[in-house]
Amino acid sequence: MLKESILYESVGELAKRIETKQLSPVELTEAYLERSQKLGPQLNAYARLLPVEALDQARAAEKDIHRGHYRGPLHGIPYAAKDLLAVKGVQTTWGAKPFGEQVFDYDATVIEHLRNVGAVLLGKAAMIELAGGLGYMYASASLQGETRNPWDTSCWTCGSSSGSGAIVAAGLAGFAIGTETWGSIVCPAAFCGVSGFRPTYGRVSRHGAMALSYSLDKIGPMARSAEDCTRIFAAMAGHDPLDRSTLAVDKAAFTNSPAGDLKRRGLRVGWLTNAWKEYEPGVGKAIQSAHKILPRHFASVRDAALPEGPWEDAAGVVLQAEVASSFGELIRSGRVKELHDPQGRVGGYVNLTVTGGDYTTAQRVREILQKKMDALFESYDVLATAALPAPASPLTMNLITGLAFPDPLGAIGNLCGLPALSVPCGFTEKNLPVGLQFIGRAGDDAAVLEAGQTFQRATQWHRKHPKVA
Amino acid sequence: MNKSKGQKIDRREFTRKSALLSAAMVPTGMAFEGPAAAATNEQLPEGAEKLSAEGRVEAEARFQQIMSQYGRRFDSEEQKLVHEGCYILQGSLERLRAFPLENGDAPALYLKPLLEREKKPQSAPAAGAAPAAAKKP
Repeated sequence: MLKESILYESVGELAKRIETKQLSPVELTEAYLERSQKLGPQLNAYARLLPVEALDQARAAEKDIHRGHYRGPLHGIPYAAKDLLAVKGVQTTWGAKPFGEQVFDYDATVIEHLRNVGAVLLGKAAMIELAGGLGYMYASASLQGETRNPWDTSCWTCGSSSGSGAIVAAGLAGFAIGTETWGSIVCPAAFCGVSGFRPTYGRVSRHGAMALSYSLDKIGPMARSAEDCTRIFAAMAGHDPLDRSTLAVDKAAFTNSPAGDLKRRGLRVGWLTNAWKEYEPGVGKAIQSAHKILPRHFASVRDAALPEGPWEDAAGVVLQAEVASSFGELIRSGRVKELHDPQGRVGGYVNLTVTGGDYTTAQRVREILQKKMDALFESYDVLATAALPAPASPLTMNLITGLAFPDPLGAIGNLCGLPALSVPCGFTEKNLPVGLQFIGRAGDDAAVLEAGQTFQRATQWHRKHPKVA
Repeated sequence: MNKSKGQKIDRREFTRKSALLSAAMVPTGMAFEGPAAAATNEQLPEGAEKLSAEGRVEAEARFQQIMSQYGRRFDSEEQKLVHEGCYILQGSLERLRAFPLENGDAPALYLKPLLEREKKPQSAPAAGAAPAAAKKP
């Protein structure tokens, strides 16, 4: 039986053990499966575990490694995929009752890429129904029920990659895959005290992923360190002829090594002064401490401000219009009534009324915003601020009224397709994690990941784990 | 900029405008799916007072349009949520439309013409394999 501390090791640490044959992928998979079977239901972390398939993959990995065919740092590492990624022959529910029996006969490109590097798919992670695209009011807006935060099970993990966050935080797998349209990786990463990376739009293929908002959806890793996110992202990224939104071959591919110029000059950080109106006290304290240590580890840290404008409105209109198309049939047919959340059951009808003219206006505003943000990145390599101004919310909170703070940064980051990383940077007085967010220029995912790694070389927050018995 | 911002209209005027606009949205002969009376000021969702006069009329028309098509599907709580949603969307649209744009400010999305070299190479399907169309969600 493996020690719990091994199950909390980073992908890098586990990979070293596996490569040197000190750890068997089968043993590791069995240990994560056992822990997931025990703790997964308590947290509502999984939509479905895949023990038979996982053990088959682990045995194949072990065989390969013993033959000398080691494929790299993800070989033999068990992971969970958000339940909106198609896995051949396995139920893919999108977290929603109307799709509860859905089965695809092909794998999502991301699943294929991870299989090619030898990662072991342990199960499908629970999620908010339809990734929250029709709106939701409560944490319970999921076919799997509310996902409980491993740091405090009376609190939520945030969504929509709720299970992915819980699985990584509770040491139920080596890493997880999440998706973000607006906040769905950054928020669960912050609430769960893990590292979550949202790549530049178009770097990771969405073929086989549920489409919510065609111009906003991104897929990214959630793991126990920024370094792990870098390794996983390198395996996921790349042009895909099956997803025409992916960037060209040379722009989409990512290699796990910081760009030479970054190594030479170090990173210039812009500390955002207007991303959040106010912090909850516990969050404010942790963020101030993080701010204080940055100058010791980065080339420069200067105050920066986001441009002012109706960015949240533009993001909202784009999202609503695209959801009206991606789930138009579900709404018009009335089957949307089968959703769990009272807001989700009606939100789509309002989306149907967004006009083409208003959608196009939002896209024109978006273009202007992209140029403004690109100009801002002339002075900084990364921007930094709190991932969120509040810690994990109670499970029963009405999220529409309870988490109603403005989020211009989430809107800007997602409208412009910018890469972002949330890393743990402290705790509130109630021992709830706080996240620090780095945001980079479109395509400069390397700078964001490097910033996270730099921060984590100087801190130990990412090594803290909840007590989940 | 929207010139009407900040203008006030009285309740009677607002109700009249709402009724006119919502009637115009429903083609002759189309039956309402459910009751959708024009809202009075007392029934307006929170935040409605921040909208321009035209914005409130448009939000109400949006609500009426939804009610005329799908009204029977909602109970009173759901109707309230839809009503609120219409006003929240309207607020976003007003701010968005007020953003100064030149005629030449193009949208962020562009057509990517499907060039021959970008198409996936065709491979012969394996015997017994499902047709390509069946593989799509």
